[in-house]
Amino acid sequence: MRQSYSFTKTLTVLLLSLLLVLAGCSSVKTKSDSAAPAAATEGGDSAASTSNAAPVDIELLAMTSGESDVNIIRDQLTKNGFNVKLNLQPDYGSFKAQEDAGNYDVALSSWTTVTGNPDYAVRSLFKTGGDYSTLSDPEIDKLIDKAAEESPEDYAATYKELEQKLVFDNAYIAPLYISYKSQAINKDILNPESVRLSKSRALAWEDIEFKDAAKNSTQPLVLTQSASTLTSLDPIKGNDGSINTINTNMYVRLINLTDDDKITSDGSLSRNFSIAEGNSDYYFILRDDIDFAKVENGKAVDTGERVGADDVIFALDRAKNKDSVPDHRTYSLHEHIKTVEAVTDPAALDSVKAAGGGTVRAALEAGLDAPISELVSDKKQADNKAGKYQVVKLTTTEPFPQVLNYLAHQSAGIVSKKQVESINTYDVAKFDVTKDIPYGDQNTVTEGAAYNNTLYASGPYILTTKNDYEAKFVKNPAYMPGTENEPKISNINVRFIADADSALAALRSGEIYSYYGVPETKYSVVEGDSKLQLQKIESNGVSYLLFNTSDKRPVGKSADLRKAVLYSINQDEILKFYEGNKIKAASTVSPLVDTGNVLTADPAKVKEFLAAYQVSK
Amino acid sequence: MEIEIEAEIETENIEKGVVRDMSELSVTEPAKPGSSASASGLDAGIGGGRRSSSEYAQAGFAWVASLLLTLILLANAFDYSSGAVKTGTLTVAAAYAFFTLVQIVITLLIRRDLAQVGYIRGGTRTLGWLQLLSLATGNVFAAAAAFQLIKKVKTPEYVFAAYMLLTQISVIAVSALNLFKPYVADTFPLGMLILLVVAGFQLAALILIAVFVKRGAIPRWMNVLALALVVTTATGNLFALLLGIVLLAKIRSQQSPASPRWEDAIDRLSRGTTSMLGMFFIFFLFSLSICSLFTFDYGMAVENNYGAILQPPSLAYPLGTDNFGRDLFSRIVFGARISLIVGAISTLIPFVVGGVLGAISGYYGRRTDNIIMRALDILYSIPGILLAIAIIAAFGANTVNLILALSVGAIPTYARTMRANVLMVSTYEFVDAARAFGSGSLSIIFKHIVPNSMAPMIVKATLTIGTAVISTSSLSYLGLGVEPHIPEWGNILKLGSAYLETNSYLAVYPGLAIIALVLSFNFLGDGLRDALDPKLD
Repeated sequence: MRQSYSFTKTLTVLLLSLLLVLAGCSSVKTKSDSAAPAAATEGGDSAASTSNAAPVDIELLAMTSGESDVNIIRDQLTKNGFNVKLNLQPDYGSFKAQEDAGNYDVALSSWTTVTGNPDYAVRSLFKTGGDYSTLSDPEIDKLIDKAAEESPEDYAATYKELEQKLVFDNAYIAPLYISYKSQAINKDILNPESVRLSKSRALAWEDIEFKDAAKNSTQPLVLTQSASTLTSLDPIKGNDGSINTINTNMYVRLINLTDDDKITSDGSLSRNFSIAEGNSDYYFILRDDIDFAKVENGKAVDTGERVGADDVIFALDRAKNKDSVPDHRTYSLHEHIKTVEAVTDPAALDSVKAAGGGTVRAALEAGLDAPISELVSDKKQADNKAGKYQVVKLTTTEPFPQVLNYLAHQSAGIVSKKQVESINTYDVAKFDVTKDIPYGDQNTVTEGAAYNNTLYASGPYILTTKNDYEAKFVKNPAYMPGTENEPKISNINVRFIADADSALAALRSGEIYSYYGVPETKYSVVEGDSKLQLQKIESNGVSYLLFNTSDKRPVGKSADLRKAVLYSINQDEILKFYEGNKIKAASTVSPLVDTGNVLTADPAKVKEFLAAYQVSK
Repeated sequence: MEIEIEAEIETENIEKGVVRDMSELSVTEPAKPGSSASASGLDAGIGGGRRSSSEYAQAGFAWVASLLLTLILLANAFDYSSGAVKTGTLTVAAAYAFFTLVQIVITLLIRRDLAQVGYIRGGTRTLGWLQLLSLATGNVFAAAAAFQLIKKVKTPEYVFAAYMLLTQISVIAVSALNLFKPYVADTFPLGMLILLVVAGFQLAALILIAVFVKRGAIPRWMNVLALALVVTTATGNLFALLLGIVLLAKIRSQQSPASPRWEDAIDRLSRGTTSMLGMFFIFFLFSLSICSLFTFDYGMAVENNYGAILQPPSLAYPLGTDNFGRDLFSRIVFGARISLIVGAISTLIPFVVGGVLGAISGYYGRRTDNIIMRALDILYSIPGILLAIAIIAAFGANTVNLILALSVGAIPTYARTMRANVLMVSTYEFVDAARAFGSGSLSIIFKHIVPNSMAPMIVKATLTIGTAVISTSSLSYLGLGVEPHIPEWGNILKLGSAYLETNSYLAVYPGLAIIALVLSFNFLGDGLRDALDPKLD
């Protein structure tokens, strides 16, 4: 019994201490206590968003790779009185399927203007009938066309107006941020100066060299990309991350972009180019030192067939023609091309004035070793040292200086007329995906029974074989040999690593030598690793929310609802999450044209628009 | 037969003078004659010194566990990058070190006592009171050992009551950490008040049970106490429910001379240190899952706070914050709910479905058996996690589909276990007797056979529930579980895994939580297996 007395004593002490704790509890600040003054000071800001109206349902479609963005948007929308339903898809294919089926209110989308010109940043996205467009607004169409014809000095105002209509008046999209383009290089293995980081164009493989130059011909360069399913190795049949870099390095173009998006002939098929007065005629003088390569027994061999004017004409004609191949993904980029023809009479160059003054001939001859003595129609006859050249003239449907940017895009890559015509023998209208094998089908280069590599590459490298793990490339032996553009490294392997963290781990372990697109949250990790070098540049990539504008969804019908979503987006918070490694955006043209438009989150406006939406409903 | 042998040993020991005074024995009180409990009760202390002394075993376990905790705390008390000392962590580490030392001393004393006199001296037991204070530092291992030590004669009721109080205090302590937050949930003060009142009541109950409950003799007025304890289960403290039911059932069965088998099982269960600690952690999480409805603010766990991104652990954020500024501590607490619910339901569904199929198949045999079991064999041939991934990929990722996906794959193993038991049990005489009395097949199966085939099923369930928790987390980790912002342990771990290098605590704590829960279920499963094993009768 003695024990029970001591128990009772302890009990009393404990109960007393309970009372003390309870007294403490009463002075604790609860959530509503702290929310009330906050709401008062912020003028009915975020906390007051718990309006008495029922939350509006919003279905957000995204890929799992955009999970962080999804969470920020979900949070912001929820705090502004929306009830967010997530539709997360594991890969781009399933995402696109959901998007095509219209199973979304807003879709987390991103766009990279790989051509570096503002027209591309709006044309295929927002113009009626554009290849990625779900919009149909005549006012927007008119502004896009108007800006296209203008020079950079004039189009800023037009794009500003377009942004106003697109984003602030109609809220067809809600901009989120501009990304940085980043690249981490293993500087113990590669020569960091040789690895370019360009604002728009894809990584140029031919420049890269090992730190130890002796390894260039013996050791493969190991790179990485996330997508292992290649849309198509026919440049006009794809325009996405899975093939942009690959096709850029497999097919040479008439023109290139510099690292800061200026037009240049360096490393392209042309030695020089010239714009004729009136901005409608464009002249290119071609090189004679590139042959198509093909794959034989796993090795690249010179086909002996030169890349010439007939191939340029063929390639650009099929690029602009919607019906040249089934699943043409890039015709809208080239819809301004009217005609492409070879110039055979040198006198025709003398008579035309160049836009910058002087004749076109003078512009084309500038810096050439031998002036034009003869223009040949047969590409085999071209001999630049002897002054025998080929010149191609491109005419646009209307004055359109930005056409040059499109010619620098991978979809304007030059393919072999002879080879493509011999493979694509099917009737386009009756194309049967189960029977017909088009040029560039990824199955023809995938290991296995269907392997039958028919690729003809005009660029520095050619794909020999691929599987789910990696794709193997070898150098084109007949690509500008002896020049500074000759590919330095003989073999390139591109590993497919879907997950960003795994790719970074592979870089750090030395499995891959360069990693393109380091996630913002990992910059510190790369910077902390002594063997790695981080390169960073503002990109043309913009992330935004695309609204479903079909009539089946409330967001499609009500601009008020869309605007409520728009003003819920707080870009400052997004920047904070990314530790400042993102830039504010107003639309997809933001990285290219400084329009001065800024999207500012405004919970008061959200309430207003939501109320207006509730009334209209 | 066994009783006789034990009795012989007893006399032997007394003759040798090892055991001087029966009342000083560190054993459970001898039960009424005729009760089979006496056999298992007696062998604890008399059989010989240290090896069978539950106090010694638990003390040994406690000092090792708290030494480990001390070392972890010490390792964390230094900021390795700046070389500075974190005074807060160091103080806690010092407190842990103190109680570890005390625990080591206690262990050595018990060892000496058992070697010299064969029982634990009163003085050694008094040290248990000092060690009870370790509860204030959150050292449940030492506290549990202390509860074990201070009471000479331990009834299962006392053990359950001690763990009940321990659970309640742990829940209160964990909830009280919210006081350091900028604000608490609106229901926090009321919730804490209720928890404290319940804890006070449970303390009183513990004292009453310690004083009045004797083996085989429970005063009838305890009925009221038991009912009140059952009511306090509303806070999620399942020990209270267990204790209440045990008390009620024992009071009811006191009239009958035979002690039911379950009493032995409960008795055996309460004597296993690891199984009780496993049960403690599970019940603690369960209780916390329910109490967190009131004492935790869900907003802290799901709403982004860009002002507090990737904060290291502090008082306001005991486990730090993640890359969205959400409190990891709140997320883990709320995540326990989903992990437990999904784990429990996805074990319950195959338990019931597989159990029924197995019972039918085992009882009817022949063609029925063949059809059911071959169909289940087909299901069994598909790897469980692949089946789950396929189901989720086909029907979408949400909690219901997650539970279904995990359940379907587990049905065949439960059916097999049940079938094997039913095959055995249906040969017993009482089944023939029931049939002779004219019972229908279904009534024979579910009234007579199934209840007698349950033990292996229960053990299997506790063992596989841990697997279910891991599967849930794995699927969430793969992005196939619940939505990413919902706090679920797999989700939290997935997010944390990206920060292993820079903010490792984001992955370490959810990982530890998963390990601890699965380990607890395994410990409990082991304990239940021992307790329910008929061979030990």
